[in-house]
Amino acid sequence: MSSRRFWDWFIFPGGIWIALLFAVPLMLVLALSFGHVDDFGRGVYGFSLDNYRDVFDATYVPVLIRSVAYALATVILCLLIGYPVAYFIARYGGKYRYALLAALVIPFFVNYLVRTYAWVALLADQGLINNLLVDWGFTQEPIQMINTPYAVIGGLVYGYIIFMILPLYGSIERMDPSVVEAGKDLYGSPLQTFIHVTLPATQAGILAGCVLVFLPAVGDFVSAQLLGGPDTYMVGNLIQDQFFAASNWPFGSALTVVMMLFLAVWMVFYLRRASKGEAEVL
Amino acid sequence: MSTPFYKPRFLRLFTGLVYLYLFIPITIVIVFSFNSQKSLQVMEGLSFRWYTEFFNDPTLMDSLMTSVQIALVTMVISTIVGTALAIGLVRAHSGTSKGFNILMLVPLITPEIVAGISALLIFSQLGIALSIWTIIIAHITFSISYVTIVVRGRLASIGMEVEEAAQDLGASRWESVRLVLVPALWPAIVAAGLLVFALSFDDFVLSFFTTGEDAQPLPVRIWSMIRFGVSPTINAVGTLMMVVSISAVALAVLIPRLFGRRESGVKVLTGAEE
Amino acid sequence: MSDLELNRRQLLLAGAGLVATAYGLSGCTVERPLDRSAAGDIVEPKVDGDLLIFNWAQYMDPALKKSFSDKYGVAVNEVNFDNLEAMVTKLRAGGAYDLIFPSTEYVRRLRDEQLIRPFDRSKLKYADSLSPFYESPWYDPNSEFSVPYAYYTTGIAWNTEEISTMTESWADLSNPEGFGRIFMLDDFQEGIGQANLLNGFYLNTEKPEELEVSKETLLEQKEGLRGFSTSSVQNLVSGAAAITQAWNGDVVNARNQVDDPSIFAYETCKEGVPVGSDLMCIPITARSPGTAMLFMDWMLKPENAYQNVMWNGYPQPVAGGREAFAELVKDDPSIDVDLAQLDDSAMEFRLDSPEARQQWTRLWTEVKA
Repeated sequence: MSSRRFWDWFIFPGGIWIALLFAVPLMLVLALSFGHVDDFGRGVYGFSLDNYRDVFDATYVPVLIRSVAYALATVILCLLIGYPVAYFIARYGGKYRYALLAALVIPFFVNYLVRTYAWVALLADQGLINNLLVDWGFTQEPIQMINTPYAVIGGLVYGYIIFMILPLYGSIERMDPSVVEAGKDLYGSPLQTFIHVTLPATQAGILAGCVLVFLPAVGDFVSAQLLGGPDTYMVGNLIQDQFFAASNWPFGSALTVVMMLFLAVWMVFYLRRASKGEAEVL
Repeated sequence: MSTPFYKPRFLRLFTGLVYLYLFIPITIVIVFSFNSQKSLQVMEGLSFRWYTEFFNDPTLMDSLMTSVQIALVTMVISTIVGTALAIGLVRAHSGTSKGFNILMLVPLITPEIVAGISALLIFSQLGIALSIWTIIIAHITFSISYVTIVVRGRLASIGMEVEEAAQDLGASRWESVRLVLVPALWPAIVAAGLLVFALSFDDFVLSFFTTGEDAQPLPVRIWSMIRFGVSPTINAVGTLMMVVSISAVALAVLIPRLFGRRESGVKVLTGAEE
Repeated sequence: MSDLELNRRQLLLAGAGLVATAYGLSGCTVERPLDRSAAGDIVEPKVDGDLLIFNWAQYMDPALKKSFSDKYGVAVNEVNFDNLEAMVTKLRAGGAYDLIFPSTEYVRRLRDEQLIRPFDRSKLKYADSLSPFYESPWYDPNSEFSVPYAYYTTGIAWNTEEISTMTESWADLSNPEGFGRIFMLDDFQEGIGQANLLNGFYLNTEKPEELEVSKETLLEQKEGLRGFSTSSVQNLVSGAAAITQAWNGDVVNARNQVDDPSIFAYETCKEGVPVGSDLMCIPITARSPGTAMLFMDWMLKPENAYQNVMWNGYPQPVAGGREAFAELVKDDPSIDVDLAQLDDSAMEFRLDSPEARQQWTRLWTEVKA
C-alpha cells in the first residue's frame, strides 16, 4: 500500500459521509428549486424557472434585503462589542485569561431557544426591565421593546457574538505587543496607533469573526419568530414557512439556493483564507 | 501599556458590562425556575414545583432521554470519524486531502436551516422515515467537522518524529497510529467529543427538520411549549439542559489537564496555537 | 491557487452530475410512495401495540394517557406539530404515527391522498353521544375515517382594563384604541378568512378580485399589529396583547392563568364566526391501529371527555365534554359554541381546489413579507 493511499483511507469515512449527506442533499435542494407542486401540495422535480422568478418578485425582495440588513447590523454590533472584550482578555486578562474565555463560552452552551426565551421574559411589556423602569419612574407606560426589529437584532447579537469574540481573541493574542509599542513611537496617539497598527494586525480575526457571525445570522428564524413583530419577517422564516406551513418545497428550495449563492461569496472568501491559514477557523 | 480605549479601566468596565449582558438572561432562567408561582415577572418564593412537574411529565422525560441518546451516539460516531478525517487530512498530501480540507469546512459555515432542509429532503427522497436516527445522522454530519478542526489543531503541533521513531522500532504504520498518535491526541479527542455532545444536546434547528415518530428532543419540545403558552417548566428544562451541557464543556476544558500537560483545555478547544 | 483550480474542475463535474440527476428526477415527487396496502382493511379496536399520538402541543391531558396506559398495559407516547401542514409533511415522509388530529378539511385531503385508514365507528362504545353534525359529515360521508375530538370558534379576545370600545366586528382588529398592541393568528386561513368576512365575502372565497381586496384589508390591519402569533395565551397573559384574534379555548386558558379572569373578554363577530373541528384519525402508516381505536373510545368516554375539557379548555362534542365546557364558560357565554353553529358549513374553512390553496398560502406569505 502506497503512503498516499494509506492516509487517504483515514479521509474516506468522514469525507464520504460529508459528501453523501451534505453535498448531495444540497444538490437535491438545487434540483427541487426548479420543480413545482402537484395537486396534493407535494414537491415534484422539473425544469422551470418559475420559483426563481417568484423569489425576485417585488414582494419577497424586501424580505431578502431585510435579512441582510439585520445580519449586517448584527455583525457591526458584535464587532463593536466584541473587539474591546477580546482585546481586554488578550491583553489584560493575565492569568485569568482562560477563565474569562471559559465564562464567555458558557452562555453559548445554554440552549439558543432558552436564551431567546429569557429575553422574551426580560423585554416583555410586563417584563422585568419594564417593571423596573416604571418602578423607578423613568417612564409611566411600559416601553415596547419586544416585537421590534431591535429585539430581533439584539437576539441575533446575543446568539452569535461568541463567533466574533473567539477569532478576535485569537488574532489579538497572537499579535506581537512590541509592534504596538513601535507603532506608538511612530504615530504618537493611541487612536492613530490602533488604526494603523493594531487593526491591520488583527485583520484576519476581524474578517473571520464577521463572516462567522454573518452566515448564521442571515439564515436565522428563531430570533424573528420569538422576538419579532409584524415587520421583522426574515428569509429564514420565509423558508421555514414554505416547508412547514405553506407546503411549497420547491419555492422554499429556490429561496434556499438564492440565499446560499449570496452567502457563497462570503464562504469562498473565508474558505480560501482559512485553507491558507490566514483566517481564524473558529 | 496604552490602549486605544483610553484607559484600561474603561476597558475593564466595558468588558464587565458585556459579561453582565451575557449572564443576566441566563440568571433569570435559573432564578425563575425555582419560583413557587407561575409568574415570570415576580419571584414569590422558592420551590421545586417546576422540576417536580418536569420529572413527572413522561413526555418531557422521554424527550430528555431522546436528547441524551442522540448526543451520545453523535459524540461516539463523529469523534471516531472526525479524528480519522483529521489525521488523514494532515498526513496525506494528496489531491483528495486538498478537496476534503475545504469540503469539511462547508457544513460549519452553512446556515443550519439549509442543512436542515437538505437533510429533510434526502431522507424523504430515500424513503427513510424520520426518527431518532435521522436526527443522529444529521447531527453527525456537522459534528464531524467540529471534531476534525479541534483534533487537527492539536495534530499540527505534533510532528511526524514520534511515529517515525515507532516505525523504526518495528511498528507497522497502522500500529504507530494506534499506539503512538492516538494516545498523543487523546486530550483533543476527548475534548472534541464532549464539545460535540454539548452542541448536539442543544441543537434545535437540525432536530426540528429531521424529528419524526420518536420522542422529540428537548429543544424541539421547548419550541412547541414556547409557541403555545407560558410555562415556567421551560425555565426548569432550560436550567437542567444548562447543567448537562455546561458539565460536558467543563469536562472538555478540564480533561486535557488530567493528562498531565500544563496546558489549558480552552486552548485545545479553540485550537489556539503554541 | 491550486485549491481554486481544483474547485473549478469539481464544480464542472458537479454541474454535469446535477444535470444528470435533475433529468433523472424530473417528474418524480420528493417523497417515496408509501405502502398503502392497508388502505382497504377496516381497523378493529384491539390492543395491538404501543401507541404513538401526533397532536398539537398542550392539547391533551397527560393524565388520560397515563390512565389508558395503565388500563391496557401499553405505552402511550406523544409527539407534537406546530401546524397541520407540518403534520402532513411528516406523515408523507413515512412517519408511523397511530393517531393524528387533523381539522375537517385536512381529513378530506388525507382521505383523498390515502394517508388515513377506515375504521368501524359502530365498534366504538362511546360514539353514540356524538353531536349529530359528525354523522356523515361532508368531509367523511360514510363516517368511516374520523371521530371528533374538539371544536372551536375563532373570535377576538381583549383586555378589558385597556380597551373599552369593541364592536363585535372583525374591524376591531384595527381598533385605534389598541393600535400597535394587536395580534393576528399566524394561520393563513384564519388571517385571510376574517378579512373575507369583514369585506362581506364568502369565508373561503376563491375569486381573485375578492382576495385582492382582502389582501389590501390585511395590509391595512398589519399597520396596527404587533405581530402574527398563535401564542394567544402568552400574549394576553404577558400583557403584550391588548386585542388578539383568538380561538375560544385559548381564551379559557388565558382566563385560568390570571387572578381576575374578567380582564379577558371574548367576542364573536357579527360578520361571521369561523367554526372548526379537530378530529381523530388513524394514518395508513400506523403500527398499532387497533390500540389507536381503543384510545379514541377512551377520549370519548364521558368522564374522560369531562376531564380533558377541564384541562385543555376546548369543548368536545360528546357527553361529558359539553357539560365540562358549559361549566368553564358560565361566566362568559360568548366563549361558548352553539352546536347549531357547526351546521353552518359556510363558516368552516375548506379550500376545495389545490389552486385555491396555493393562491391563499401565497397571498398570506405576501402579507407577512
